[in-house]
Amino acid sequence: MTTSSKASPWKALVELPENIWRSIFRNPLPSSDLGRASTSFTNFFLHLHPVKVHRNSLKATYTWGLGLMSFFLFFILVVTGILLMFYYVPSTTQAYDRMLDLRGTVAFGIFLRNMHRWSAHGMVAVVFLHMCRVFLTGSYKPPREFNWVLGVFLLLITLFLSFTGYLLPWDQLAFWAITVGTSIASYAPLVGKQMKFILLGDSTVGQEALLRFYVLHVAVLPAVLSLLVAIHFWRIRKDGGLSRPEEEDAFPAEAAPVKLELVQAPAVVMASSPAAAAAVEPVLQKRHYGIQGLVRGPFTKVGNVPDRSEFAWPNLFMAELLVFLITVAGVLVVSLFFNAPLEQPVNVMHPPNPAKAPWYFLGLQEQVSYSAFWGGVGIPTIEVLLLLIVPYIDRKIAGVGRWFARERLLANFLFLTFVIVNIILIIIGTFFRGPNWEFVSPW
Amino acid sequence: MKTPAKPAIEESGDAVTRRRALSWLSGFGLFGSLIITAFSNLIYIKPRATYGQPNRFSIGKPEDFPSGARVSLDTRRVCIVRDGDKIAAISTTCTHLGCIVSVSETGFACPCHGSRYDQDGNVTGGPAPKALPWFQVSLAPNGEIEVDKDTEIEQGNYLRV
Repeated sequence: MTTSSKASPWKALVELPENIWRSIFRNPLPSSDLGRASTSFTNFFLHLHPVKVHRNSLKATYTWGLGLMSFFLFFILVVTGILLMFYYVPSTTQAYDRMLDLRGTVAFGIFLRNMHRWSAHGMVAVVFLHMCRVFLTGSYKPPREFNWVLGVFLLLITLFLSFTGYLLPWDQLAFWAITVGTSIASYAPLVGKQMKFILLGDSTVGQEALLRFYVLHVAVLPAVLSLLVAIHFWRIRKDGGLSRPEEEDAFPAEAAPVKLELVQAPAVVMASSPAAAAAVEPVLQKRHYGIQGLVRGPFTKVGNVPDRSEFAWPNLFMAELLVFLITVAGVLVVSLFFNAPLEQPVNVMHPPNPAKAPWYFLGLQEQVSYSAFWGGVGIPTIEVLLLLIVPYIDRKIAGVGRWFARERLLANFLFLTFVIVNIILIIIGTFFRGPNWEFVSPW
Repeated sequence: MKTPAKPAIEESGDAVTRRRALSWLSGFGLFGSLIITAFSNLIYIKPRATYGQPNRFSIGKPEDFPSGARVSLDTRRVCIVRDGDKIAAISTTCTHLGCIVSVSETGFACPCHGSRYDQDGNVTGGPAPKALPWFQVSLAPNGEIEVDKDTEIEQGNYLRV
């Protein structure tokens, strides 16, 4: 929009809608590569993305969209969680009644609770699968070591969020799962008993515990998770995007050497003598200008950069939208057909037999039934420490960016063993354990 | 300081200049405040008083418990045992994972993971790692029995009434 030379109030009025629109959305829908770059760059939400993204990162069979899916599930959880907060009261005398209200009187109450519960289960599963993807493609290798570490913390916080949320309905399942869970924590050496006391705010699970878990669940943990997610995303950019096979970065051998045609010669060259310009020339030719750093100014170089990247607009955004739609659709469908369980109200005198934790903790509970310390504290701690230390032990840059790379046979084998053992423990805990945690047949 | 600090001294590295000492001190102060803040918060969230069940409570007069009685007070999570003139309070919180054990023929049994204890609370089976603790029992001035769940005592220490 050009500013009119003769400003008249009438003209301003006529142009008002368009001017407002343009002031918010600085770019019209892009029709050129420059426009596409500019769209990504000038939009607050889109600028988190690179202007161009490697083709490998767009491959659905490489990432399966799992990281994004985790984020979208978290987004759904935040939205439905805030909505549920309008009706929930973290009080031992009211919480359960509020659950019944959600089921009975609140419009869409049961549906929102279903969405929240199933997204939470989904998030635990998807975050774990995302970790498997990152490991099996060797994506934790330098320079991405610390992002892997952040990812492990994100998994732990996800589990803790889920654990704190489990108490809030104040039904039998909630009460006994948390009783068992916090008792496991008290087996930690030295600080275990203190930790349990601080977590519960009392010696047993009661009003204090409910309030504390509520605060952790709706304020503390989501805030920490959001911060870590932001750093996690930021580091993806700073580490050069998603991991990809090394050969993807190499210039194609058969391609002719690309002459870098600058739209305008750099100031330094123009200002110096022709001799200086000649000296700089080879350097400029070798230089690989991505669009990221150069999108503004006379150096904007679009179109013939010899890499295998695509513009984020529309390729990446369409892919992200697709993952979002799949995630939302999945949650909606599951929430329509399955209601989140709600058991009898808490009865402190009568634990259900068996008292089972949520499915993702049943592997832990199965371990605990053999030895409370080793199953509940020792082995999980070792597992987490191993996960955290992996990128600092396995430093060989080989097989990065490919699923089940041959070079990573041993690492992948060990990791898959860890995964499968845990899945088997969860299956045993879920289906093969009955009253008094005795072995039963599900058939 | 009359003369401005000479860069040469600062770069020498060995000599402790005023600037270096001050930066160390302020660094120490900032880091120290951070630790104190974190620690204060920890103290803050650890409750001094709990609002739930009191850990020290009265359970009535000794006459309420005839000899040979084994009365499980589920809300208090404690079992009152009387044997002649001896009275004791044994925890009914399973030492495995905190479920409430019930009084059985042979002692105590946990419904959650099948731990079993004898009459004195010693483990006889199941995953429980240790015996049920005994709590301090005392006679209050008004003649009622007082149980203090904050004070664990040796097994076999009875209160004589």
